[in-house]
Amino acid sequence: MPAIAEKNVRWVKHPKLSLAEQIYLPTIAQGMVTTISHLVKTLTGTNSIQTQQYPEQKPSLPPHYRGVHRLNRDEQGRVKCVSCYMCSTACPANCIDIVAAPSPWPDREKYPELFVIDELRCIYCGMCEQACPVDAIELTTIFDLTGMSREDMMFDKEKLLSVFDQTVAMGTDPVRTKGGRLSVAAEPAGSGLTTSSSAQS
Amino acid sequence: MLFDLIPFSFLVTIVTIGIVFGAVLTAVGYSTLLERKVSAWVQDRVGPNRTGFDLGQPWLSFLKGFFGLGQPLADGVKFLLKEDVVPGHVDRVFYFLAPMIAVGTALLAMAVVSFGDTPVAPVLHSSSEGGLKAQRMFPATKTELAAMKNGTNIQEVRDGAKSYESLTTIKFAIAPNVDIGFLFVFAVGGLAVYGIVLGGWSSNNKYSLLGSLRSSAQVISYEIPMGLSVLGVLVMVGSLNLERIVDWQARHGWLVAYQPLACLLFLISIFAECNRLPFDLPECEQELVGGYHTEYSSMKFALFFLGEYTHMITTSFLMAALFLGGWNLPFVTDALKAVPEGFPDFGYLICCAVKAAIFCGKMGFIIGLFMVVRWTILRFKFNQLMSLAWKAMMPLGVLSLVGVAASRQFIEPDYAKLIFQFLWSFASLLLVGVASLMLPGEPQRVPVNLLRGRAPSASSSPELSAKAW
Amino acid sequence: MATVLVNDISVDIGDEKLNCVQAAQRAGVTIPHYCWHPALSVVASCRMCLVMVGEKKPDGSIAMQPKVVPGCQTPVKDGTVIQTMDPMATTAQKATLENLLLNHPLDCPVCDKAGECLLQDYSFKFGNASSRMVDEKNTPPNKPDIGANVSLFTDRCIMCSRCVRFTREVAGTAELHVVQRGNHSEIDIFPGHPLDNKLATNVVDLCPVGALASKDFLYKQRVWNLKTVNSVCTGCSTGCSIHLDTNKDVVYRLRPRFNPRAQGHFMCDEGRLGYHQVNSSQRFRKPLERGESGTRPIEWSAAVASVDRGFRQVSGVDPGNAWFVLSPFLTLEEAWLLASYARSVSPFVRIVSGPVPRVGEDDTYPKDRKGRPASNIKFTIRAEKCPNRKGVETIVSHFQKTPLSFGDLLQACDAGSAHFVYVTGGYSSAHPGFRVDDADKLSKVPNLIVHDLMPSALTDRANIVIPSAAFSEKEGTYVNHAGLAQSTVAGCVPLRGMRTDGQVFLDLLGRKGLVRAEEIRKEIGKAVSVLAALAQGSTGEFGVFTGSGS
Repeated sequence: MPAIAEKNVRWVKHPKLSLAEQIYLPTIAQGMVTTISHLVKTLTGTNSIQTQQYPEQKPSLPPHYRGVHRLNRDEQGRVKCVSCYMCSTACPANCIDIVAAPSPWPDREKYPELFVIDELRCIYCGMCEQACPVDAIELTTIFDLTGMSREDMMFDKEKLLSVFDQTVAMGTDPVRTKGGRLSVAAEPAGSGLTTSSSAQS
Repeated sequence: MLFDLIPFSFLVTIVTIGIVFGAVLTAVGYSTLLERKVSAWVQDRVGPNRTGFDLGQPWLSFLKGFFGLGQPLADGVKFLLKEDVVPGHVDRVFYFLAPMIAVGTALLAMAVVSFGDTPVAPVLHSSSEGGLKAQRMFPATKTELAAMKNGTNIQEVRDGAKSYESLTTIKFAIAPNVDIGFLFVFAVGGLAVYGIVLGGWSSNNKYSLLGSLRSSAQVISYEIPMGLSVLGVLVMVGSLNLERIVDWQARHGWLVAYQPLACLLFLISIFAECNRLPFDLPECEQELVGGYHTEYSSMKFALFFLGEYTHMITTSFLMAALFLGGWNLPFVTDALKAVPEGFPDFGYLICCAVKAAIFCGKMGFIIGLFMVVRWTILRFKFNQLMSLAWKAMMPLGVLSLVGVAASRQFIEPDYAKLIFQFLWSFASLLLVGVASLMLPGEPQRVPVNLLRGRAPSASSSPELSAKAW
Repeated sequence: MATVLVNDISVDIGDEKLNCVQAAQRAGVTIPHYCWHPALSVVASCRMCLVMVGEKKPDGSIAMQPKVVPGCQTPVKDGTVIQTMDPMATTAQKATLENLLLNHPLDCPVCDKAGECLLQDYSFKFGNASSRMVDEKNTPPNKPDIGANVSLFTDRCIMCSRCVRFTREVAGTAELHVVQRGNHSEIDIFPGHPLDNKLATNVVDLCPVGALASKDFLYKQRVWNLKTVNSVCTGCSTGCSIHLDTNKDVVYRLRPRFNPRAQGHFMCDEGRLGYHQVNSSQRFRKPLERGESGTRPIEWSAAVASVDRGFRQVSGVDPGNAWFVLSPFLTLEEAWLLASYARSVSPFVRIVSGPVPRVGEDDTYPKDRKGRPASNIKFTIRAEKCPNRKGVETIVSHFQKTPLSFGDLLQACDAGSAHFVYVTGGYSSAHPGFRVDDADKLSKVPNLIVHDLMPSALTDRANIVIPSAAFSEKEGTYVNHAGLAQSTVAGCVPLRGMRTDGQVFLDLLGRKGLVRAEEIRKEIGKAVSVLAALAQGSTGEFGVFTGSGS
């Protein structure tokens, strides 16, 4: 490490203490007044305690909260995912496992045969949501995730779709990413749904 | 022969030990709850409020989560059921011994601490009260004392009256009337540091060792101002016996008024002795992971806490007895004076209960102070801790002692003593404050790499090389 | 001596006949191109390689042509000046890419080519960020049945016609052609004539975009997850250089690697799809020992000790009754170690090379219109279905001065004079090395050790079966039909708990440590004169010719 030139060093002196500060007792008394006033205010209920009584009182989370994942469904109730592996590529925790297969539907080529997220390994960063080109994966506001075993916490495709059904039914998590559609290849041939702008963007 | 000389009742002592143990340990449990509650209140939070007693009875349903009163019990059960990890690298003998010493010494100190009105045992022979005739046994009651002063053989008096060691008076201490009194508390309390030192050393972990080293240095340093502050009490009262000190205060007024400075020094010292914030350097998490108890888990870890909180209770009782008048509360206890003493009397029982409540209330006040101070003052750096002990509290202690001695020797009426002591204390504080302003401050720090980059001539400057250190 | 100036970089091309793209490559400059391929004819149809070309006059002045020209079609000579960064050239490249993307569906997320797609790469490097296209794209239907191994995603095609030229010029079978015109051009087959020649899947590698996809690899993996190592195909004695693509120790595909000394640019479908055996769940995972009550798995150390004990028992009585069969699927190093082991006990132990599977005649391409081989051979699929016959025979003849054959062993089995036989296998299940009657003969041997990959008639009769590692799991050297020695790198870790063949032989020899092919290669190079080229340890990217070549 290069030595610091002396001209670059700024000498800072300890601030001079006054006698009252040096004796220390008046400042302690000041501190005690603050502490005790808070204590008294809390005990008499004159300040507002922010604590929420959780199980009885549910927190209202902002819509961009990153909780449990869900796999979105399209208008026909099928999984929207086209199994492009973008989420698993973006995932910094490597918690997404996909097995792709040719889709059984005529309007698209590829769909996920298996789609498993290890919710224990996930760090809930939301990169999968950002990476998804078809807005198939989203993070919901469900935060109280529990399971009795590690296997319980491996969310497969059916479970992730059921999270979608659950959150949509609750109304807490509307589908919020509306970027668009993959491309002509993801649309019924010749349906005219595609405009070049959505395909190019 | 021996039993004649020593007023000692085995059965009563066993029962008292049992009661005190139970009461102290319960108090420790609930002081942890209080600690958490006070922390919460000071920080505008709620604190533990879920753990209660669900007894299944509808009319007892209010006990469910009633202020979290079940919390200490739940904590205790948790500590007992947790896995007790003993790392492979520890020195097993001392590792197991350390928490026992920590909690054992703390409980041992409780032996002489009274927490209610314990009758004062008169001295066998007191030069101050004129040459009394030596007796073969202690006078136990005021009647006996009066008889002794008259030169009567108290054995004769006792034959027809209640004796001191009989069950007719309640003694709120395990070992009442120990003449070395608070000296015993200091001796045993000083041993408590062994628990910490052994725990840190036997853990074979550098953080633990550093914590215990800090602790030993800290306790040794703060024993001195503590001793100096208590010496004033000894000078004033002329006895180490705690009952006697309380009795003196009941007659002359509280010692906090006579010796405000000594009281302050004692308060600060017991903070340090208990390793409470702002002096909790042995266990500061930021630098030492956990300090001396890093390697401890489960109940052994809990024992250290038990010891610490017991220590708090002991020292709080001591503080109440030494400076705050013990069971004495003006007007309240004065009104109780008329009540005759003697066990079967209901009035006497009420009187004892009120006095015990007053004593315990004072103790509780000091514990509350402990907890509020925790959230007020930041932790000292170690050099600040040491300079506070040696540069400020030692001189103040000496000054306070000089003041007490002077007032005792030269100033007669009590109110004059009060005024003199107040002025003296204030002046001492100012003197030490001004003196410490004059003292050179901390040396300026210089980055090492700056020194390295300098020309060789510069390093010959003694000022600079001194700064570098 | 010809000197060409590419973007002010002077490059000496000697006497070679190069076009602008190749000359720029020599200078380290990339001229983007789709339709041009070194192994195919030049059509200059994609217009991606448009560059400015000029000439440096003897007086030092430079005269550029006032227009862009296709680099692939423009030969260079001494004094040619190529400017790829000229505004006119970059504008032309941008315009070309915009044109190519007009009908491209941009379904990269579901396209298998994504990650190694030249359209992606060039769009990123040379293209525009956006398109001005406002009309509807053409979405011609896909043709998944274009061939047995190949599927066509018609809408992704950019009409470079590489595939069409490949089937005409290299395979010679000419199944593919372009139908329709202009904007509606498509690649297609003639009705009833699918793309089924033995080189068909090469069009997938040739396709610069994701239009042609291998059905074997379709949707299996995204290419950026694959780990690639240089390896050699073990399907036949051509010894095609390949890229071995694996992920998490599973082989997903083989791709040809350009090697002018071995096979050129391509590989056959049989070799390309021959890797499936590696991923088979039937492979042996632990040594097996046959006892009274059937076979049971044993520990590796026990197996090695048991083999060694059996061999020493027999050779202690008569070393001539102990036989070692060196399979042509072994690497040079493995053959060397096993033969060394045999010889370390007695010079009279018999070492023979294993049977060589041979299927028909060498199959050469291109074919003519009637399916007969043409005279200008561009690719050969060998009849000899093993990678290392030549190498193993060299090793065997080094140790066994009086030549013996596998037939001699079978005779000895019949005569009952073979008491200990160590057989190495590794043959592909499509071309098994041992016939069932061979196995029956060998089953008469009291102590038969079989070192193989998969259960077979022979392993059913063995006293001890030792699992063998697949070619993708071991490093070693193969000598092809022409004596070209190519070394491979292990693409994946052997199956859990497995030992490679070389390691087993090293353990048998009692040598300490892990097997390192390079060290053994140097040993072989010093000891065997015909393989002296291996003494350096490394065989380089393209391999080295050994003295045993013809």
